[in-house]
Amino acid sequence: MTAFRTHLEFLHRTDDCQRLERPDSPSPQVVAAEAMRANGPALEFTPAGGGVGLASGVYGGVDQLERRNRYPWTRLGIGLGVDRDPAYVDVLEELIELGGRVDDRDVTYVPRAASATDRGLRDLELPTPPDEAWPRFTLGLCSIGSDDGSYWGPIHGTVLDGDTVRARVPEALSGQLRRGDAVTIALGVPAAALATTHLLAVTDRLSTPIEARGVGSTVPVVPTAGGVVPGSSEVVLETTVAARQPETRSEKREFWERLVDATTLTLDVRHVFTREDPVVPFTPLGTPLSDDLGLTALAIAARLYERVNGYWGVSPVEWVLLPAEGRLGICLVATEVLYPGFEWQLANLLFSLSRCFDTVVVVDAEASPRALGRVLGDLWVKAHPSRDWLFSEPNAPAARMPTYSRDDTGARLYVDATWDPRWKPEFVAPRVSVTDSFPPEIRDAVLESWTDLGFEDEPDVA
Amino acid sequence: MTAETFREFLALLEDAGQLNRIADRVSWDLEASAITALANQTDERIPAFERVDAGIDGTWLVGDPYRGPCRRPWAHLARAFELPSALPGPAYYEAVVERLREPCEPTVVDPATAPCKEVVRTGADASLLEFPWPYVHQGDGGRYATLNTLVAPDADSEWGRWSRHRAMIHDATGASLLFLAGEQVPNLYYYEYERRDEPMPVALVLGAGPAVECAAEMWIPVGKSEAAFAGGLQESPVDLVACETNDLYVPASAEVVIEGRVRPGERLDEGPYGDYFGYVNGPRRSMPALEVDAITHRRAPRLPFCVEGTGVGYGHNSTSTLEVAAGGPDATLGLRAAGYEVAMAAPWPFSSRTAWTIATDRPYPGYLHELANFVFTTWGMLHIDFLIFVDADVNPLDPRAVFEAIALQADPATDFHQFGVERMPKVPLNIYQTPDEKGSADVGTSKAKTAKAHVDALSDGDRPTQTIGSRASRERARNLLVEAGITPAFARDDSPAVDR
Repeated sequence: MTAFRTHLEFLHRTDDCQRLERPDSPSPQVVAAEAMRANGPALEFTPAGGGVGLASGVYGGVDQLERRNRYPWTRLGIGLGVDRDPAYVDVLEELIELGGRVDDRDVTYVPRAASATDRGLRDLELPTPPDEAWPRFTLGLCSIGSDDGSYWGPIHGTVLDGDTVRARVPEALSGQLRRGDAVTIALGVPAAALATTHLLAVTDRLSTPIEARGVGSTVPVVPTAGGVVPGSSEVVLETTVAARQPETRSEKREFWERLVDATTLTLDVRHVFTREDPVVPFTPLGTPLSDDLGLTALAIAARLYERVNGYWGVSPVEWVLLPAEGRLGICLVATEVLYPGFEWQLANLLFSLSRCFDTVVVVDAEASPRALGRVLGDLWVKAHPSRDWLFSEPNAPAARMPTYSRDDTGARLYVDATWDPRWKPEFVAPRVSVTDSFPPEIRDAVLESWTDLGFEDEPDVA
Repeated sequence: MTAETFREFLALLEDAGQLNRIADRVSWDLEASAITALANQTDERIPAFERVDAGIDGTWLVGDPYRGPCRRPWAHLARAFELPSALPGPAYYEAVVERLREPCEPTVVDPATAPCKEVVRTGADASLLEFPWPYVHQGDGGRYATLNTLVAPDADSEWGRWSRHRAMIHDATGASLLFLAGEQVPNLYYYEYERRDEPMPVALVLGAGPAVECAAEMWIPVGKSEAAFAGGLQESPVDLVACETNDLYVPASAEVVIEGRVRPGERLDEGPYGDYFGYVNGPRRSMPALEVDAITHRRAPRLPFCVEGTGVGYGHNSTSTLEVAAGGPDATLGLRAAGYEVAMAAPWPFSSRTAWTIATDRPYPGYLHELANFVFTTWGMLHIDFLIFVDADVNPLDPRAVFEAIALQADPATDFHQFGVERMPKVPLNIYQTPDEKGSADVGTSKAKTAKAHVDALSDGDRPTQTIGSRASRERARNLLVEAGITPAFARDDSPAVDR
């Protein structure tokens, strides 16, 4: 388990996080959004006054539409402790394990790293988005205690005054609450904890106590007035459900709410705990490549990867990817085509497992999830425009992410960009690439002499 | 200064720190292309091989000289045309469109002053084997001249027709030319010269300079001259010189000019070859045969070549760069000239030709269909299978914005439109058709047909947020990031639509 501040330190050490002083203007959300738009590093804003430090882009913030040496899953994978340069599927599998049910509870309790403070909620100086009136917190974890254990879910919201927040939480959790019940909000939690809340939320598995999930034995916790929260949390807010729950207008949403019903809760803050020099993650909502979008994309992909590979008794699927660039409206899957028609089954299984997207692109197993550009090339050159673009009748449940106008039903499309398994091998065209187009002895010699030839950048032939 | 010749272009690259002169001895047999492929993949400097292990002393091979940087493939050509290399993509397009609106007729120079006549060999003295043509990919059918401009006769133009057709070298005096029926010059050959049983005079020009290369990439309408558009691009006339053995005129500054005839009824093997689709197409097929009559060249010529296929995915090569930097502005101008109010037309960045994105409004119902029909039945009929229509304020050169539009705005029920099933012509080089569907080796033409499709990814006014904050606050945010040292990653100039 990696504490949030350890995760942040590691991003600094790998030159993937840039420190800058928190500006008075513009809002940190604007700076964060522009950094993501530029595919920049994660950012850490050091506090100018007495407020908390802020960090953005620590879970995502990277697109794959240019060649790069970090990927949309790199920062989360590092946070999960998978590897410094984590393989995509390893991140998915780690996530699945964290969300998996365990037979024997093995929970580690630790002292609370955050201590009680006289600070009021306002003193935290959480950032206010440019078009909003109140400071906003995002990427939070909420915990509700019960006799069976603690229930975790994602939470975000606004700070209305020194004692009150208005938050959005999954309905599966808020449905358990009554006036006066305790809810604890933790900010700056380990990546393992936050990512798992997204996984459990988008897969409708919030009704099992966290102690009975893999994450429960991975992340050391501390009891609070609500449920347990990660012991290393940077900021902990102990709250109770307010007596008055005013009707509110539509709030801004985190991305998981596109898939999960959520409600607004007004919470009275009873106690504020912070670590020394606390840093909390945040993300600009609704913008491309935001962290909440990245977390949701990985959570859905992990679940789909697990389900489709568990379906046939063999594991034909190499990877499933929901590119954040497409805001989860399209799903890419790399697979071995076991037999003619398999790709049809696979695409439709994916549609049946998620209402997120309306389009599935099936590519060959050799395609690398790191080479999205190449995959998006195959989309157009390997699929016959009439035979390999297959549309359903418009009587499927409407997909949730696309924004085109539609009623409750919609059509589905899958693109078969794989070689037809009926073709003889000699009809399958070899790829053009450094690795495929040159004999090993020439390739090795070129790689060996690369810098002697006067080139500067280390070649990457992965 | 505008780079009017290939050598001036190389010097300009070198001045900009974008040329890597390699003095080590390098083989034409896969080694030069392997180095070039790796340079393309890693966005490294353009390799210029000064010592090649065969051919005329002093000959250089230059690997993918027109390849631009990954994020800004047009940057080197912009520099060549004396435009700011930092121009954002849309601004570069508009600048080139303006140049193309002002064609400039070429001038004819005395052969005695033409650099391409420094060495003149005719008849039996002219040998293709004096040049180190690269063997580009393992599995290719032979050695190729890839980055060339073919000059052919044109009844409607004094200056001939320029286009790009690869040539597979067979021996000292023979090569096969990739002539795909449906393209202008091959049509002229198959349906006029060959039917009359006449040889067609041609000149294969290598190293003719950036404007010539760009003009050859464009789809210039009948009755207009590529030479004049090249002059417009470089804002000065292109110097032409008469060939030695036929009536054609060629760019005087070219590094090498191969004069010859395409012999009616004769074919030579061609291919397979690792092509712009990113795969090795096959099967080997018969293509028209070029017989060499003369070769003129500079002393110590610089031979440009392209490692085809490496312009797929993230990497660029000369072909994909020319498609983005010349084909795109040309198509934009062409569509506007045809009466379509398109903001921009540009190739999909991860495959060099098959899919194009067109940013446009929808002024009336049926407009997109009409526009797609125009493209598929004119300049895009062979190579383009898909058109993606996006909002006029989306930058087609911004892959993130285009991908988002496809993912969110294209309704499978109503927004995908096919133009018949198996009715449209298609280059036989594609890989999605079976060998049977591609046709046999029949006369170099293709029996291949396919469907064409267009995707309506216009938002109808409902695009997700791309940015937050006012323009001024975003600008302040960028300045803060630059001050924090985030310049390299931050220096995107193909900003999404809101900042166009």
